Amino acid sequence: MGLLRAGLCPGLTQDVVQLLRGRGIRTVVDLVSADLEEVAQKCGLSYKALVALRRVLLAQFSAFPFNGADLYEELKTSTAILSTGIESLDKLLDAGLYTGEVTEIVGGPGSGKTQVCLCVAANVAHGLQQNVLYIDSSGGLTGSRLLQLLQARTPDEEEQAGALQRIQVVHAFDIFQMLDALQDLRSTVAQRVTNHMTRERDSGKLKPALGRSWSFVPSTRILLDTGEGAGASGSQRTACLIKSPRLPTGFQETVDIGTWGTLKQSPALQGHPT
Amino acid sequence: MCSAFHRAESGTELLARLEGRSSLKEIEPYLFANEDSPVLGDILEFHGPEGTGKTEMLYHLTARCILPKSEGGLEVEVLFIDTDYHFDMLRLVTILEHRLSQSCEEVVKRCLGRFFLVYCSSSIQLLLTLYSLEAMFCGHPSLRLLIVDSLSAFYWIDRVNGGESVNLQESTLKKCSQFLEKLVKEYRLVLFATTQSIMRKTSHLREGPSSAFTHPSDAGVDYRPYLCKAWQQVVKHRIFFSKDDSKTSNQFSLVSRHLKSNNLKKHFFIIGESGVEFCSYVS
Repeated sequence: MGLLRAGLCPGLTQDVVQLLRGRGIRTVVDLVSADLEEVAQKCGLSYKALVALRRVLLAQFSAFPFNGADLYEELKTSTAILSTGIESLDKLLDAGLYTGEVTEIVGGPGSGKTQVCLCVAANVAHGLQQNVLYIDSSGGLTGSRLLQLLQARTPDEEEQAGALQRIQVVHAFDIFQMLDALQDLRSTVAQRVTNHMTRERDSGKLKPALGRSWSFVPSTRILLDTGEGAGASGSQRTACLIKSPRLPTGFQETVDIGTWGTLKQSPALQGHPT
Repeated sequence: MCSAFHRAESGTELLARLEGRSSLKEIEPYLFANEDSPVLGDILEFHGPEGTGKTEMLYHLTARCILPKSEGGLEVEVLFIDTDYHFDMLRLVTILEHRLSQSCEEVVKRCLGRFFLVYCSSSIQLLLTLYSLEAMFCGHPSLRLLIVDSLSAFYWIDRVNGGESVNLQESTLKKCSQFLEKLVKEYRLVLFATTQSIMRKTSHLREGPSSAFTHPSDAGVDYRPYLCKAWQQVVKHRIFFSKDDSKTSNQFSLVSRHLKSNNLKKHFFIIGESGVEFCSYVS
């Protein structure tokens, strides 16, 4: 990116490119940062033309500043909060998944991450009537489990079918397939990813995998853990908020993954005739 | 191009700047190790791991700047360059609403009118954007605060693109640093830039119970400089952020170091609904 070539912008002909290259100016940055009077003299090009060229290149390749008031107006109309369908999880997320943000669920094997994703997908597709793009890289998604969750929400087969149609599944088993799938997404979405836990080498503390470079990306992170204590039944999990832009961290909620997806658990359906 | 425009405006600009000179002094005294607050033309770096309050501090400073004088603000304009798409407008609005005595839409929008946001997705785009923003600084004499969150966002991408040569890897960020210094000096701005702690300091393996692991409280313990030398050289103040990991506390701390005089100061703060609140005790 950034090499000057003919046709890159109006006014940049092959001749101009050659003349500039002859004086060591190969990239957009080179031209923009150069002393244009000097370049005009050395290359035999018109100073005015170079100034115009610089302006066009900057307009084309630099980012445009937004005014805060305009941005706020736009945000008010385009942001939505999507309930996950699980009351306790919604509490941790301050009402639900915010569009325009990435929410990460981390947990060890068997902690219920895929269950959470399936439940959210079912709720968004059925309860909120919105489209869902489900990128599966672990092979954990089965149509039958999705159907089960939907059947628990409504006995109406047409509604179930409608919801299933709104869920688009993409299998991506390497990072390139995943990036391809994400490139195709254009509209504002709330993104949710799951991540695995690894043990930190030195202190033995559990920490999320993918390291520090990834850890900055999601705005919200929830840790799922199997419940403590001998009395905890097999389907109990604790969800702990470990990173959030809105709420103080450290809050914990208990979720029962056995009953997820039932009508009782989903506040979005209460008082909502669908 | 801009310099001619610059000269023609210097009379009114000078007055605006003299006024502006005093107005940014009180931006946030807790942040500075020296008794004096930032001088216009200073560059300050916020460094720390994620979740330690750097971005919240930027919202706090932004609110301080864009609020009207009647509400305790400085009534100056702020330009926020976001490189990792983390900026949360709703959070800024919440902080403004909590700090205003009467938070009606009108007042909030007027404050937001003093705020400008730019998204950059590569270091080259950042550099080119800085060039084109020069015209904006010319035309907005009340624009005093420049924020870059974060400057380290493109570190790995630049390393890959630069191949084997360290010079090539660092060349764009080096140009950005030099141009930022030029902009800040020429237009009398203050620049706050955040950098993430993405490098792990190799800690000595400690045997024994975890309670023996004492929390490092001095500055620079988790600091491994990894950005280019050109950037290290333009920074005047470096402020390290950290969070007390114990479950009982929701306290954050920052250590501010003035790089020339080597003065150090430590402060504690919490983050509430209305943003950063400093705790009154100082170490």
